[in-house]
Amino acid sequence: MDVFLQVVVNGLLLGGLFAITSVGLTLIFGIVKVVNFAHGEFLMIGMYATFLITTRLGMHPYAAVAAVVPLLFVLGMMTQKFLIEPLMSARNHDIQIFATVGLSTALINLALLLFGADIATTPAYGLRTAVEVGPVRMLVGQIVMFGVAAALVIGLHLFLQRTQAGRGIRAVAQNRAAAQLMGINVSRVYMITFGLGAACVGLAATLVAPLYPTSPGIGTYFVLTAFVVVVLGGLGSIGGAFLGAMIIGLIDSLAGFYIGSDMREVAVFGVFLLILILRPQGLFGGRQTLSHVS
Amino acid sequence: MTDQTVNPAPEPSPEPAAKPAKRTTAAIALAALLAAIFITPVVVDDQFVYHIFITICIFAGLSTAWNIVGGFAGQLSLGHAIFYGIGAYAGIMLTNMGISPWIGMFAGAGVAAVVAVIISYPCFRLHGPFFALSTIALLEVFRVLALHFRDFTGGATGMMIPLNIGWEWMVFRERLPALIIAFGMMCFILAVAWWIRSHRLGFQLVATRERESAARAAGVGTVKVRLIAVAISAALTAMMGTFHGMYLTFIEPESAFSLAFSIQIAMFALIGGLGSVFGPLLGAVFLVPITEFARGALGAEAIGLHGFVYGAVLVMVVIFIPNGLMGLIGRIFVPRGTGTKQADEVAAPEVARTFTPPEPGEEIVRVKNLNKHFGGLHVTNDVSFTLREGEILGLIGPNGAGKTTLFNMISGFLDADSGTVEIKGPDGKWNSPTNPADFARLGVGRTFQIVQPFAAMTVEENIMVGAFHRYPSVDDARAAARRTAEKMGLAPFLNAEASSLTIGGLKRLEVARVMAMEPRVLLLDEVMAGINQSDVRRAIDLMLSIRDEGVSIIAIEHVMQAVMSLSDHVIVLSSGEVIAEGKPKAVVEDPQVIEAYLGKEFTHA
Repeated sequence: MDVFLQVVVNGLLLGGLFAITSVGLTLIFGIVKVVNFAHGEFLMIGMYATFLITTRLGMHPYAAVAAVVPLLFVLGMMTQKFLIEPLMSARNHDIQIFATVGLSTALINLALLLFGADIATTPAYGLRTAVEVGPVRMLVGQIVMFGVAAALVIGLHLFLQRTQAGRGIRAVAQNRAAAQLMGINVSRVYMITFGLGAACVGLAATLVAPLYPTSPGIGTYFVLTAFVVVVLGGLGSIGGAFLGAMIIGLIDSLAGFYIGSDMREVAVFGVFLLILILRPQGLFGGRQTLSHVS
Repeated sequence: MTDQTVNPAPEPSPEPAAKPAKRTTAAIALAALLAAIFITPVVVDDQFVYHIFITICIFAGLSTAWNIVGGFAGQLSLGHAIFYGIGAYAGIMLTNMGISPWIGMFAGAGVAAVVAVIISYPCFRLHGPFFALSTIALLEVFRVLALHFRDFTGGATGMMIPLNIGWEWMVFRERLPALIIAFGMMCFILAVAWWIRSHRLGFQLVATRERESAARAAGVGTVKVRLIAVAISAALTAMMGTFHGMYLTFIEPESAFSLAFSIQIAMFALIGGLGSVFGPLLGAVFLVPITEFARGALGAEAIGLHGFVYGAVLVMVVIFIPNGLMGLIGRIFVPRGTGTKQADEVAAPEVARTFTPPEPGEEIVRVKNLNKHFGGLHVTNDVSFTLREGEILGLIGPNGAGKTTLFNMISGFLDADSGTVEIKGPDGKWNSPTNPADFARLGVGRTFQIVQPFAAMTVEENIMVGAFHRYPSVDDARAAARRTAEKMGLAPFLNAEASSLTIGGLKRLEVARVMAMEPRVLLLDEVMAGINQSDVRRAIDLMLSIRDEGVSIIAIEHVMQAVMSLSDHVIVLSSGEVIAEGKPKAVVEDPQVIEAYLGKEFTHA
């Protein structure tokens, strides 16, 4: 029983990790309607930035937030401005896929050029220390990550629902042309949204870096799961992404323990394919999110 | 191009003369390129140059095969390494059992084709990024499974082949035989792709990519053609995989089922020109040498450099030349404006005729007690009617009355909640078709209220997609398409891109495409909406001449002038119910109809 409890808690904590890495992806997808295949590489850049700041400046990884989040925000804005925006009017929308796939390939290999294939380990500053709560062991860094993920999801939800800027963003998401006619600067909204999505993954990077070794391919490792989470939660739904992350975390953890650790991915992607095929609007997605699928 | 006798129509100006010349130039350029690929390494006779050109052949072959699905059918697979891996493993496993890879190649192709059909069938309902994501997920599953079942695949340590030299084992000391095989396979794959693109399958694939519902209405089995395409593509990819496995003499899951490799395959096609037959070849010729030189010259210091170049080039191409190198060549050699002439309102031919309403014939369509709910909304409430042979049935009613929903149900695009739609087949038997393909087979053709041209095709090719329903061969279909275009007044625009037509032209194209199917029953959804008065008159004449050929027509129309002068019988739909039916004269005087259209106060006016 204790083992089972431990596996479940591990799953939920893993869910926190998945949630924080997917929130930005689902935000960008929901508003800009672009599947950002380079999302994982944004995470990778954030992790390398955190690594450099902690090792070169001797700062706590969490203090790197102050630099990494703005950095990623600007990177996201630039991606939208110089890569996605020129393609928005293209006849063939699928070409956007290749734009971000190309960006992803270029960034992975740029990291290989700069840092080599070796892994970079960010100092843990005690974040990899385990604490025991009753029968269950957890890492300090995981608990923080879970808390931040929950706070980020709630914060983003409130921002989109309650603020004027948030309403503008949602209006653009629902009807670009109509929003434009209402005097909303659509191009700026897209840039800010893309920046926000990238900033979220920057925040995630500072939390992930002390727990996981950084390597050029680390983004691919996380982003595939992030896609699963986003589709499961209903594309563009931030709350859905959080729940989806928890479910995938649990599946991953349970499958890893009961089936075999090398088969975790088969379980996760199997669920993903089933959801994509049987319920493309996601487990929690309503009808309006379905419209993106067609 | 061979049916000038069938179609004596005046040709649009410079096009016909220019086209064969352009074609010859293209053929010479292609032959020169292929010859260069083969001869250069033989002449230079350097190990490294051989390697580069063999790699070009391999990637050109893989990308061309990918293009059949990714380009023609528009399903952007990022999981093609699945089929490559299957081919490579099949070849090496069978070689280890003492079976020649020449046999293993076909075994792998067979397995890959079956796997492709099984995994694509559910995934084809996904589009764009979602299809791409599902293929990535499948690739990951295959990779993990290949790692897991190590007794079968050798797991992470991979598999070596025994070094039996010779043609039957596809392993050589020299490079020349490997080049011969790679080159031959590449040419074979190019030939297959070219064949597909220039035959019915290719037209149907492109039509499906451009407008799936219009393709279905034109009788294209959209699922079937894509499954055929993916099976062929997977088989060809697997065959190349077998050869590449033998060429490398070693295989392991991380490289065989690699996402980066899948992306590379797709990338060459995109850079060369998505959907064009020889684009992928161009992409490989252009990119492989750059990256192989980077790898060879800079070696281990520059790990990642070639990948960076790939990614950067891909981004640049997508932004600056989205149609790829082929598109760029097209732009340079064909100055704008000569290829496509801006289509303008040109008169549909006047048909001078005296109108005698023929006797209505036998029943051909029977609709009984049709019901449909959208949530709480009862869009079609117990609708019944019949259509007789040679009759024009006008279907009118206010906006939101359920006319288009009714059309969708009597063409198979929407299932009714209850009730039946029966069509009498050419053999006189009654059928109850359930999907657009069945309706098309029975000779029911439809147009769409919002025009659905295949934008990337010419007017002629658009109409040919319909004509293929009756004529499997390209030449017959082209002749039929030209006859139809002539009748519809579209002959001057045969070689114009459909997207260059005006709205009146697009509406005629919509009708022309369905007419080319030679339907027995024609469903016209507001073909006259938004076109000018003189065009309305021409459209009326056109519909009458269509009917005189023995086609039965149901027409949704708001243009009352047309409804009154055309229809033998009129049905008025309001809020999903038939509120009146009968002769046009009688129906418009019906108080209920006036009320539905104009409101209560007009009933007494």
